[in-house]
Amino acid sequence: MRTLEVNDLRTYFKTREGEVRAVDGVSFALDEGKTLGIVGESGCGKSVTVLSIMGLVLPPGRVVSGSAHFQGRDLLTLKGRQLEDVRGRDIGMIFQDPMTSLNPTLTIGTQITEALRRHLGMTREQARKRAIELLQEARIPNAAKRLDDYPHRYSGGMRQRVMIAIAISCNPKLLIADEPTTALDVTVQAGVLDLLHELRDLHGMSMIIITHDMGVVAETADDIVVMYAGQIVEQATAYDLFDRPEHPYTEALLAALPQIEGEGIRHGRLVSIPGRPPDLIAPPPACRFAPRCRYAGEDDCAVVPPQLREIRPGHWVRSAHPACERAAETVGAR
Amino acid sequence: MAADPRDEFEATLDRTAEGREREAGAALQRASLRRDAFYRFIKNRGAVFAAVAFVVLLGYVIVAPWVSPADPYAIDFSKAYLSPSWDHPFGTDEFGRDLFVRTALGGRLSIAIGFAGTIAIMIIGILYGAIAGFAGGWIDNGSMRFLDALYGLPYLPFAIIVLAIFGTVSFWAMVVALTVASWFTTARVMRGQIISLKENDYVRAARALGARWHRILFRHLLPNTLGVIIIFVFLELPGVVLGEAFLSFIGLGVNPPKASWGTLAQDGYTSYQAHPYIIIIPSLAIAWLILSAFFVADGLRDALDPRTKET
Repeated sequence: MRTLEVNDLRTYFKTREGEVRAVDGVSFALDEGKTLGIVGESGCGKSVTVLSIMGLVLPPGRVVSGSAHFQGRDLLTLKGRQLEDVRGRDIGMIFQDPMTSLNPTLTIGTQITEALRRHLGMTREQARKRAIELLQEARIPNAAKRLDDYPHRYSGGMRQRVMIAIAISCNPKLLIADEPTTALDVTVQAGVLDLLHELRDLHGMSMIIITHDMGVVAETADDIVVMYAGQIVEQATAYDLFDRPEHPYTEALLAALPQIEGEGIRHGRLVSIPGRPPDLIAPPPACRFAPRCRYAGEDDCAVVPPQLREIRPGHWVRSAHPACERAAETVGAR
Repeated sequence: MAADPRDEFEATLDRTAEGREREAGAALQRASLRRDAFYRFIKNRGAVFAAVAFVVLLGYVIVAPWVSPADPYAIDFSKAYLSPSWDHPFGTDEFGRDLFVRTALGGRLSIAIGFAGTIAIMIIGILYGAIAGFAGGWIDNGSMRFLDALYGLPYLPFAIIVLAIFGTVSFWAMVVALTVASWFTTARVMRGQIISLKENDYVRAARALGARWHRILFRHLLPNTLGVIIIFVFLELPGVVLGEAFLSFIGLGVNPPKASWGTLAQDGYTSYQAHPYIIIIPSLAIAWLILSAFFVADGLRDALDPRTKET
């Protein structure tokens, strides 16, 4: 069963300098109970992709084309009120910064019960009871007492747990986590990820997890989408992607990971990708990664736009020279 | 009349809005802001003194008519124009009425009009500004240009015309007259506040929960402007009281035998050479109220701006 199917999503932002193509033709599908990881560097359009699906893109941003089928309906064509009914009830969302995502003037309890009362029509008492259960599920100690506290009495990690509790409060089919651990201490990150994992299995949710941390997706995702400059450049199962990355960008991303043990251990400086992400108002005409790609120039990839093609079952890549096709000449180069 | 402190206040608001954007993770600071603000206010001696003065004045206005044996409406020409004494601390007027009680009663009326007018200004200004700022786009643009046009209209003629339309000068006529052209600044400031607040992550989080616009505006955004609203109450109140006094003084006040500070001052105007206390006392009361309210507003403004140096 498909939970979500996104097709050719395009979201552009009108600015004075021109139209920024933040998301430019993104398609992916998510099966029930699975987790999809979307990775990419800052500004590659991963957040805008999910915000578009949720209908949360604000002017000057605009969803130009595409569809996002969820439970038999195209979310992108829903009117405001219908979309509001879906948000929070069928799709829960967690944001990056737990320090600013909770309203400082409302108690935690008020903020958790908000969706319960809005979507499930619970009374104050029912919602309160459920909120305590949710906080316990999110492993907030002493939940009943802490319900009436204001957010400033919670630590960052606890606030993110509260955000998770809010997001799952109505038992959504889909949970979207937009960089859920980026703003947290490393020590807290693992706990939050575990919690997400556990709750996903417990409630049978599908999950989209957005991150620029390869470690996070390696741990949680079944499938991974790598985005670059508003486009998907590679798409595969997590195992296959880490085992045999095909796109030069993905390879570079993985090479840039610090390794502290194992055969790949390196000494000295961390590897980085030369150059900067392209300007999305006037992106490179063909392959958007070409200016930074170490293999560009070998063929016409800077002139003819490469298409997303299935290089082996379930593994898609948008590049003129995926690793498996250039294996011979580059062995020993790395 | 009260233009200066308000402009200055708007400038401070702009500064704090900027600062707020700059300080990442300022939520924590803002959450405990209320308590910090209270301590900062307590430390500001001038503001505390003004607050006490304000409360003392309110106390006099409320309590004096209860405890004083004098009848504020009893006409007794044998006691006309008595200078202040133990029996009549503020003296008596041309009809022999005790001014100690009449000043308190006048104060009740003036301050009641002041508060009613301020509340009306707040409600209209906050709703107008908040909705404009929250909606954004052409609604915001249109309503702000409309406000700009209204800004050009002078305040007192407006009030006088309204009173003329009502015919008789009743309490509510006075409130309407003083409100109708005074809510513009509040609306502007609220708009600015809402615009800077609506960029917050928790607004997006609330949207992601399916919250409707009115819930986001009234439940999530307006409580965050409470500090500003409190300050504005103390900035608008003196303006309304002064406006009422002015209208009364030029003969558009409440009808006798009722009195407000403005009409009392006008009574004294005719005999200010022989009996100066009749005009001085209500004038002092007005000045007392206005000054204390301004100082309280000033103290609140400093207290609620987290970047003021502790003094």
